[in-house]
This record gives sequence, C-alpha cells and structure tokens, in this order.
Amino acid sequence: MKSEDIDQLKDRFLKEVKKENSSKERKKICKRYIEEELSSVFCSLKNLSGERKAEIGKKANELRKLISDLLENEKEKVFQAEKEFDITLPGKNVELGSIHPITKLQKKCERIFLRMGFAIAEGPELENEWYNFDALNFEEDHPVREMQDTLFVKQKNREELPSQERFLMRTHTSPVQVRYMKDREPPFRIIVPGRVFRNEATDSSHEINFYQLEGLMVGENISVANFRSVVGYFFKELFDADVGIRLRPSFFPFTEPSFEVDVSCSICEKKGCSVCKKTGWIEVMGAGMVHPNVLRSADVDPSYFNGFAFGLGIDRIAMIKHKIDDIRLFYSGDLRFLRQF
Amino acid sequence: MKLSYDFIQSFFKEKLPPPDQLADLLMMHFFEVEEIQRTRDDFVLDVDILSSRASDCLSHMGVAREIAAIAEMKYSLPERRVKEGREEIFGKVDVEVKDDCHRYMLRGIEGVKVGESPSYIKKRLRSCGVKPINNVVDITNYVMLETGQPLHGFDAAKIEGEKVVVRRAKKREKIVTLDEKRYELDEDVLVIADEFSPIGIAGIKGGIVPEIDKSTETVYLEAANFDSKSIRKGSRSVGIRTDASLRFEYGIPCELAEVAMERAVAMICDIAKGKALKGVIDYYPEKTRRPEISFEAEEVRNILGVEVPLKNMEKILRSLEFKVQRNNNAFYVIPPYFRLDIKEKEDVVEEIGRTYGYENIKEDPPREIIVPRERAGEFLAEEDSKRSWEALGFFESYNYSFINEKMSFPFNRKELIEMEKPVSLEFKYLRPSLLPGLLRNLRDNEMNFKEVKLFEIGKVFRKKEEEVSERKMMALLSSADDFHEMKGKLNKFFERILIDEVSYNECEDKGGLFNEHHVAKVLYGGEVIGCFGEISEDIRKRLKLKSNAMMGEFDFEKVQELHKETKEYDPVSRFPSSRRDIALLVPQETLYDEVLQKIRKAGGKTLRNIELFDVYKGKEIPEGMKNFAFRLYFQHKGKTLTSKEVNRMYEKIIAVLEEVSDWKVRK
Repeated sequence: MKSEDIDQLKDRFLKEVKKENSSKERKKICKRYIEEELSSVFCSLKNLSGERKAEIGKKANELRKLISDLLENEKEKVFQAEKEFDITLPGKNVELGSIHPITKLQKKCERIFLRMGFAIAEGPELENEWYNFDALNFEEDHPVREMQDTLFVKQKNREELPSQERFLMRTHTSPVQVRYMKDREPPFRIIVPGRVFRNEATDSSHEINFYQLEGLMVGENISVANFRSVVGYFFKELFDADVGIRLRPSFFPFTEPSFEVDVSCSICEKKGCSVCKKTGWIEVMGAGMVHPNVLRSADVDPSYFNGFAFGLGIDRIAMIKHKIDDIRLFYSGDLRFLRQF
Repeated sequence: MKLSYDFIQSFFKEKLPPPDQLADLLMMHFFEVEEIQRTRDDFVLDVDILSSRASDCLSHMGVAREIAAIAEMKYSLPERRVKEGREEIFGKVDVEVKDDCHRYMLRGIEGVKVGESPSYIKKRLRSCGVKPINNVVDITNYVMLETGQPLHGFDAAKIEGEKVVVRRAKKREKIVTLDEKRYELDEDVLVIADEFSPIGIAGIKGGIVPEIDKSTETVYLEAANFDSKSIRKGSRSVGIRTDASLRFEYGIPCELAEVAMERAVAMICDIAKGKALKGVIDYYPEKTRRPEISFEAEEVRNILGVEVPLKNMEKILRSLEFKVQRNNNAFYVIPPYFRLDIKEKEDVVEEIGRTYGYENIKEDPPREIIVPRERAGEFLAEEDSKRSWEALGFFESYNYSFINEKMSFPFNRKELIEMEKPVSLEFKYLRPSLLPGLLRNLRDNEMNFKEVKLFEIGKVFRKKEEEVSERKMMALLSSADDFHEMKGKLNKFFERILIDEVSYNECEDKGGLFNEHHVAKVLYGGEVIGCFGEISEDIRKRLKLKSNAMMGEFDFEKVQELHKETKEYDPVSRFPSSRRDIALLVPQETLYDEVLQKIRKAGGKTLRNIELFDVYKGKEIPEGMKNFAFRLYFQHKGKTLTSKEVNRMYEKIIAVLEEVSDWKVRK
C-alpha cells in the first residue's frame, strides 16, 4: 500500500459524494467508506512498518476525520429535512378528463335494465313523420300532434309529400319501438336511450334537445302489475333507496291505458321538500300498455301479444340527483360544470 | 281548463268533498289539478284535461259525471225544459258543405228582454275566466261551460233574406267579428251566412252584424257540429283560436247539440223572459254509430294483472254510463254517446283500471321467456371510447344538434339541412359536423381556463340532393397540445380501443376549418376514418379565439365497426434484448415514415422495437440535411441472441438504408 492509494481513495470518495444530490444517499456513501473502504485500509496497516505505517496511518486518519465530519453534517441535514417534511402540503395536481353526467346516468339506467334481460336499441334522430306520429296512433291533423312542439325540416312542397318522406327531429324515442319490432319476432324487451327534440323556447327547465330513455316489453301476457314490478325495481336501483311508485291516469296516443309514474321523493322521504314541491312525489315517467294500433303498425298481432312501454327524461333525473337547477348547463360545454363530474 | 267548484256542486244534492280533497281524488283517478285558487265567493280548480277526454270533459257536466263515478255520488242535471209557444220558427237552413258540417240546429226565442244576468251565472262565468256581457250571451257561454257544446246566438232582425247558409267563404270575402276585428277569408274557412253575406265564422267566432244588444227582441240560437279537421284548417287560416274552435278541433258528439240547445233555450225563456218559437230546424243527416265492444273478464285481468270482481267491473261501467250486458264472464258493452274516445277493448280496460284504482294493482314480476338478442358491441365501443378520452384528460361535452348562420360558412350550403321555423335562429341548420360546437366551447372556456381539452360523440346531418342522412361522429379539441402531441394521444386512443394499424396521410380536404399545412387524414386499411389538425387562422379570427388548438373529427360508425373487445396476449420473451443505435443523415424533406418502413422491412421479426430518439439539423450537419437517431431493440422469442447475430442484422439494416442514394449512416 502506498500513500497515493489513500489520495486516490479520497478523490473517489469526493467524486461519488459530489455526484449525489440527496443527503440520505450521501450519508450512505460516508458510512460505506468508513465501514468498508477505510476499515480495510486500517486492517492492512498492521502489515506495514515504521515510517510508512505512520505516514499512511496519519493520512487515513485525516480522511476518516473528513468523512465522519461530513457524516455528522449530513446526519444533521437529514434530521432537519425529516423534521421539515410537511405531509399537509397539497398533493400534486393530476389533470384527468371526465364523462358527461348525462352519459353516466344513461349508462347507469342501461346497466339496471340489462340485468333484467333488456337489450339496447337505437334509432335515427332525424325521423320521418310516419314513425314519429302515424305509426304511434297519432291521428292525422289533430291537436294532439301539437302537444309536442315539433321541429320540422324545411322541405319543398312539404304538404304534398307522403308522411314517410316528411322529415322532422324526433319528439320522443318511441318511434324506435315500431322500427325495432317491425323486423323481429316477439317477445321483446328493449330500452332505447337517445336524444330528442322540441321546438320550444329554452329556459332553466326546457331545452331544444334533451335525452329520453324509452322502454318496451312485449310478450304473450304482460300486465300493468308486471310493469309496476319492473319499473319499481328500476327506480329502487336508480335512486339507491327504497322508493315507491304510484300510477296516475294519463293519455298518450300510443298507450292504452296510459299512466304518469310518480316516484316517492328520496330526498325528503315523502315529508315534502322543494324538489317534490311539497307533495312527497316526483313525476318522472310517462307510460302505459302499448296501444293495439302501435302493434299493428309494427306487424305484431295484438290478439296474441301485448306489452308495456315507458319514457323517462334522463336530464330531469340527472337534475334531481345532482341538484342541478338549470338544464342548459348540460349543453353549455362549460368546463366549470363538466369538470365536477 | 278552469272549473268553478260552485258550478260543479250544482250537479249534486250531496255536499262535495272540500276542494283539496276533490283535487286529490281527481288526480289519482282522472286528471291532474294544477292549481286551486280561492276567489271571493268560489274556488277555481285549474284542471289539465287530457286531450282524449276533451270531447266530454271540457265541461262541468263531464267532470261532474266523473266525480259521481269515482266518489260514488249521485249527480243530476238541473231540470230545464222548453215550453214552446204557438208562433212557428221562420226560415230555412241550407248546408252546402255536407262533409264539414255533421249537424246544424236552429231555434228561435221571441220577446226577449236583454239585460243583466243573475248573480250565480255571473259568478260562475267569472270563475271560469269569462266576462259577463248580457243575459242572452252569458247563457250561451254558460251552457258551453256546462255541456261542452259551443252555441251561438244572433239577432233575427239583423239577418237579411229567409235562410241561413253554411258554406265555404269566397276568396277575399270579408267579415268583422264581434270584437270588431276585420278579417279577409279564403276557401279554407267555413262561414255561416245569410242570403248575402257572412254573419259568422263557423265554429270559431260570430260576426258583428247580427250582434245581440239591448234592442234585440228575437234571438236565433245555433247549436252545430262541425268537422274537427275543417275547423282546425279554418282556425289556422284566419289565425283565431277560441274556446269554441278548440272544442270543435278535438271533436264533440253530435248528440250534444240537442242537449245544449234544450238547456239554453229554457234558460233564455226563464231568465230573459222570452217565448220559444215552435219547432226546431235540425239538419242531421247521419246519426253517429257507437262501437259495440265484447270482452271476457279474463282479458281485463290479464292486462291489469289484478282480479277485479265481476260485480265491481259491472258497477264501474254502469256508473260511467256504459250500456252493459253480462253473461257470466262475458261482457258486451256500448259506451255512452259522449265518450268519443272509447273505441276498443283496451279503452274499456283503462276505464275499469283507473276507476278501480291503480293503487290496487300490486307488483308482479313478469314470467316471460328471455330471448337473447343481438350483442350490443357498438355500445361497448362508445363506452370504451369515452373512457379512453377521459383517461387522456379530455372532458366530454354535449352541444346542440344545430348551428346558426355564422357557423355554417365552412360547409357546403347544398348539404346543410335547414329547419322550418325554429324558435331561435341559433337553431337554423342541423349540425353537419361536431367541430362548430367544440369551437364554441373553446371560445366560451378561454377566459376561465388555460387549457381546454374536449371531446364529443354525437350525430351529424347532411343531405345529398333531397336525400337526408345522419351519422355518428367523434370529435376532439385540445388547446394544450401541438400537432405531434395530439397525434400521440390519438395513437394512444386507437391502441386502447384495440384498433391498431391506423396510418396518417396528407389531407387534400381544405374546407377552411384547418391550417392547410398542419392537417392529416387518418386511415385504416386504406380507408379514411377521419382527420385532425390545427385550427385555421381564418376560424381563429372569425371566432376571436385567443389560443391555438388542435382538433379532429372521426367517423364513429367506422370506429364502432373496427373496435375490438379482446386483445391477444403477446408473450413476454424470457430472453434478453440487445440494443443498437443508428444515426442516419437524410435530405430535409425526407419523411420519417419512409425511413421507418425501410428499417422495419430490413429488420424483420427479430427487430422488436424501433425508437426515434432525436431529430437534429444545424451545426455539424451538412446544409439541407437532417439527422434521425434511432434506437433498435433486437429480441428473439426462442433464444438469446449472440452479439454476432445482432451485428449481422444491424449491418443488414445499414446496408439497406445506404442503398438510397441521398441517405448516409453516420459511423
């Protein structure tokens, strides 16, 4: 062993320590040099003699002093750093995207119905008058056609065209009932989520386009009691609460009998609040037993088959669930709104 | 419709339930009561009459009948009978439009003293929102509110000639109505005329000429039944809608005319001290036939899912004034004349169900067989796509399906579908693309957010010739990415929904939406599935956008088709990989893709991965050239590659690259 070996060791140590940024790591290096490198130097010292032993020993001791001072220093630093470590500082922001609340609710509804053996169907948003009205037992040229403010496509000589060629934006998802049944054999269980249109001035509860979820179940022996059971289960799952439903008489050209479906208010548990307008019930759905004329439009024989159909406003349910007070927010693309979901 | 509580009470001897209880009862079995309003001397119930029941329930009599059936109370019409005098009614009725007028009745009352109505009439009219005028006019309004039959009275002395004619208006024929407004008519409108000119717009509004006033002595009263479609057409053509025209538009039974006529004439005789002329002029060529409906009790049970006792069923139908014959379980029924809405078995089932009470129908799960239907693959593609964009930091936006004139400029005018009378010009055209919506979102969000990253999946609409079509598209917009960052995200997206092998190519489509140099079309197997690029300067100026952004639009129906649900596992090799770097000098216009294809081809299967880690031009690099730095990874599935083998492949790749005349591998 030569005294230059100690110089080399010192250089190597300094180089290694300088390269390292963290105190913790530097502490480790110091320890390694004292416990491994230097101790082997001291071990081999005993094989040396006189002058060289004293010279190298002195140098090695100096180096040990240097390293252990540094170690003390680093220990202090690490201790300080650990003391200063603030677990309450905010987490680093991670920017994720989000899925629209209407999509989320629609998927939730779909999952519930899929569990009950329903399939999902779709149909065109740009519909013709035959499917939107005629096939659904809307009498031609009757005020009932005006109940839904229809948005028509501008067409030349519209009045003279047959209803299959007169276009409009569908006012409900019900045309898909007939489209779906027309080229298939019963029984049917489907839901039809989708965008629908009304030509009315927009305000906090009305939009020119919004979302509906249509349901249809047709078989050999379907009853109002079956409807109650299917829809009752759906709402319990949807609101994740033991809500009840009630049926009130109503009128739709495409169902007979027809009902309005109210669900008991899950917010106040029927005690009365602003959501249910103090009645304990929220109107959520129009429904009924499919009118025989609708089955006939779809080439299904009403003497063998019957069923129920319903339509649910997705926007309205989303508003109730998230306590959103303005339907227009859904179609604003406003990130201050979207990023909350 | 506004109903007077006091008016309804007049049909019952028994006391009605209090207004709020009555409203609850109506709501559960009949119609919704929107509001109960207390006035000085009455309660007003604002009831939402279902349109199927407009033919009998736009009347207090109809609503009273319903209350009688559901509350099991006894109702009766206050007795009113006409005592005719000796003087015969004078004149003739000539109905020229047989298809538009199903019945026309005329009666006369002489010696009438026009004056103020008794207070109960005025009170009930006011509750229903009708202004009292004089006793004769008030009675016609009163009886309409009572029975639902529009009536019209006129001063016989003010009519010229000897007959009343029901005909079509002549083109440009003029009339001044009771409210002193002037209308020019056309052939779509029906009029009631004397021998010379119109005295009223049939079923819609009376004319001012034969108006009943203080000097009136002989009143002629009309109770007619006009075809609903004709009145609807006429009402649209003149632009007037009245309580009368509304009732005709929904349709009322012909029999109602005589009920209302009898009551109104009796009341005028009684209150205005007139004397009824003998005889009725009644044009009524064809009596309406009522449907005869047969059904079994079991059918009712099957539809409702509850066993309504036979006796109850019979009682309910009788209380609703159906004619009922029952033979054990077999029913044979005829609806009362006023129920135009009852046409088949299902209509009768509804009557039984709602009167019996839907609350008595208990839940019963369906016992139908489940037929497996088509798989919903396209819905999974949509869900997966949305999740992928969410994970890539994008927010899902929903925009209107419409655009305004301002946003329509980049599109071919002939392809735009225009709306008929939209409520706002914001909704003038159906959107031919999702991009205008996202651009609008960018503009609106710019002041609040530095980075805007959005996506939307929705339908767009175009027409070719007169053929309209719609297609589901997917669009994205990001102000946080540059071209290649966006391309990277697109790659990630396609990778996640398992569409591999998309390629990018120059895009000739320069519709004005994109910067023409920074736009690419995206292809799958040679077919274009969309394009993306930087927003054009023109758009940024027009929309006053502050930030630059990337956007793109894709045919989502294609994406759904190509989307796969299951990925095949690529086995991890147990053998180590070896790495070699290549620095390649190429002319500046050489595309990366060309080089990549060459390396890939030369490397074969064992070349597992090619990484471009640097593109450099400038110092040390000759003019007009650039340097691509690649890192190549070699790995074999079945053995450890020796460095000799790796070098051989490496040399082969270099040789292939150097075959190209302007390319040079730097060593």
